[in-house]
Amino acid sequence: MRTKAHVPYLFLMPAIVLFSVFTVYPIVYSFLLSFQTGAGGNMKYAGLANYRRLLEDSIFWKSLSNTFIILAVQVPVMLFLALVLASMLHSLVRGRAFFRISFFMPAVTALVSYSIIFSLMLAGDGLVNQLLEAVGLKAVPWLSHPVWAKAAIILALTWRWTGYNMMIYLAGMQNIPDSLYEAASIDGAGKIRQFFTITIPQLRPIILLTAILSTIGTLQLFDEPYTLTRGGPSDATLTIWMYLYQTGFRYFDFGYASTLAYVIVVLIAVLSFVQFRITGGKD
Amino acid sequence: MSKSWKLFVWLLAAVLVLSACGGGGKSSSSGASGGSSSSSSSSSSSSGDAQDPVELTAWAWNVNVGALNEAIAMYQKDHPHVSLKVEDIGRLDVYDKLSTGLAAGGAGLPDIVLVEDDRIHGYLDAFPNGFANLSELGFDQYADLFPDFKKNLTSLDGVFYAMPFDSGPTGMFYRRDIFEQAGVNPDSIETWDDFFNAALEIKNKTGVYAFPADKFKDDANFRMMMNQLGVYYFDKDGNIDFKNPKVIQAMNNMKRFGDADLVKDVNGWDGTVSATVDGSVATIPFGAWYYGTIIDQAKETEGKWGVFLLPAFEKGGNRAANLGGSSWMIPASSKHKEEAYQFMAFFSTTPEVQIMAMEKYGLFPSLLTAYDSPLFTSEVSFFGGQKIWQLFSEEMPDIPTPYYTKDYAIAFDEAVKAQADVFNGKDPAQALAEAAERLASRTGRAVNEY
Repeated sequence: MRTKAHVPYLFLMPAIVLFSVFTVYPIVYSFLLSFQTGAGGNMKYAGLANYRRLLEDSIFWKSLSNTFIILAVQVPVMLFLALVLASMLHSLVRGRAFFRISFFMPAVTALVSYSIIFSLMLAGDGLVNQLLEAVGLKAVPWLSHPVWAKAAIILALTWRWTGYNMMIYLAGMQNIPDSLYEAASIDGAGKIRQFFTITIPQLRPIILLTAILSTIGTLQLFDEPYTLTRGGPSDATLTIWMYLYQTGFRYFDFGYASTLAYVIVVLIAVLSFVQFRITGGKD
Repeated sequence: MSKSWKLFVWLLAAVLVLSACGGGGKSSSSGASGGSSSSSSSSSSSSGDAQDPVELTAWAWNVNVGALNEAIAMYQKDHPHVSLKVEDIGRLDVYDKLSTGLAAGGAGLPDIVLVEDDRIHGYLDAFPNGFANLSELGFDQYADLFPDFKKNLTSLDGVFYAMPFDSGPTGMFYRRDIFEQAGVNPDSIETWDDFFNAALEIKNKTGVYAFPADKFKDDANFRMMMNQLGVYYFDKDGNIDFKNPKVIQAMNNMKRFGDADLVKDVNGWDGTVSATVDGSVATIPFGAWYYGTIIDQAKETEGKWGVFLLPAFEKGGNRAANLGGSSWMIPASSKHKEEAYQFMAFFSTTPEVQIMAMEKYGLFPSLLTAYDSPLFTSEVSFFGGQKIWQLFSEEMPDIPTPYYTKDYAIAFDEAVKAQADVFNGKDPAQALAEAAERLASRTGRAVNEY
């Protein structure tokens, strides 16, 4: 029997090896890199120099605050929207599949095509502004004004991910017993009251899950600012992940880029922990 | 117990070996650095008479791809064993892939890669062992065939690392029909003041913008104006020159056109091309290479185009500038350095190749011997019979040398931000001063005060 003990490990081998090469090794290597300075090929150990540089780097702080502004506005709005949509769809009798697919579609749209279409629609003379002007409103500098550019990114993100979260909530709602709603309506609670006192509390662990997923996603936000605004105007939509990318691949400063990566790791860990503590206490 | 321990050691060893393959490669010629192409199975880098087939790979973008493909056909007459696979990759994607490959010790890189002149020194500084030393391969013998500013851009400390290809003497590509419709005579435009008044006239009469600009993401117009004034992001000692009155003058010029709503805000390259095609701008200030895009994308406007030099900042002032231009580099990881060098030397120093590239693709040569061709005095029908190549080649000697340095990409980033601030209402001098401070802290360079 002992001879067969290794067999499971042999089957696990491919996964372990791939995981080690493509995940463990880069994680360890980038951690070491974060203590090195230099460009491209020639790196030198420099202790905490990169971490000290971080503290004085105004662009880093700006990208961090941009990321948090987008996070603070976009995630709650999107999750609430997703909840409302989900409960509406849940109570729908006919056409549920149609709406479900329609709302989920953006999440499976190819990223590049979606970004290009948004950048065309939001351009100075794009479709959105033409519509605004047609109804007598002023054109909005969607991609060129510091505040509006953030709004444009939030808009695009919300369009893309609301349906995705809605699907998760819909799945969660299957587990809420109908008897709760029945009892509530007998007691005279309206739909809105039911939504806030039954649906939301019952979905609590799922809301926590989506909040964590969305937070992680937003902290790693890259595609939308990259394709829509290139981080501009004047860094107004530069996210920390995009700054990391620029530092590594535009300026070849892989050491500092790794430092930024570890800042993101720590941020995600801390934020997830906090959210867990706040929302997940009862479970 | 001992068995599972053994297994663990074995696993660990396997992991280490594999990860060494993935991340190693300081020695550029390691076996793991095979290119993406299926190069010939027999090794053929020996310099002997062996005529084993060699397939070179190249990364290039846009019209350069066509030029490369035609050049290899010419080359194959005498070197039938050499073939070339050109991968048409977007300009910025080439840089991303090149940076990644160089950082990985040369893994997955092609034998030949196109690099714009403003990036060459940045790459050489970041990856000193990343590219083949072309002087060692014999390129020094061709040095006198190229203008000085191009030599400076392709070499470092007297050693060539890139083979000069095209340059971008600038001009205002304009629509004759739009100018005529507005009753503006392009020959009368000598200064930016003249052009500003003409642009107002054109906008009033036809509703057409003066020129396109990617206001918040690119500063090409600003760079042309700086170069024209003999200044750039940096001076020749590498100090930050954003506070130079001439730099501020260039930015003020941009602001003036922006404030008068004469600049069409476009989204990147695609936006510029669509503005070119749909006739929503009267001029496009760009390098000579834009000819290729115009004749390719705006076929139905044949005969309606013309070119005049950038207007001067004061009467009689310099009207010559350069924008863009690129050169060929050979990654040190190439397994066919010698063959790649031979082909690219042929490409860079053979007038017929350069003239083909210009005639068909509008890639303006830096090769001085190419200017003897009758092409340079010919009339171009797409441009209403204008002798545009003569105009550009006569501009070449007056082009001031721009100083890019290795921090060009960061300086560009800050300049674009300054321009965005200006278009959003900030005073140019102040926007540039703030950008100068940020640039100084990012690069550790000194700022010139005036």
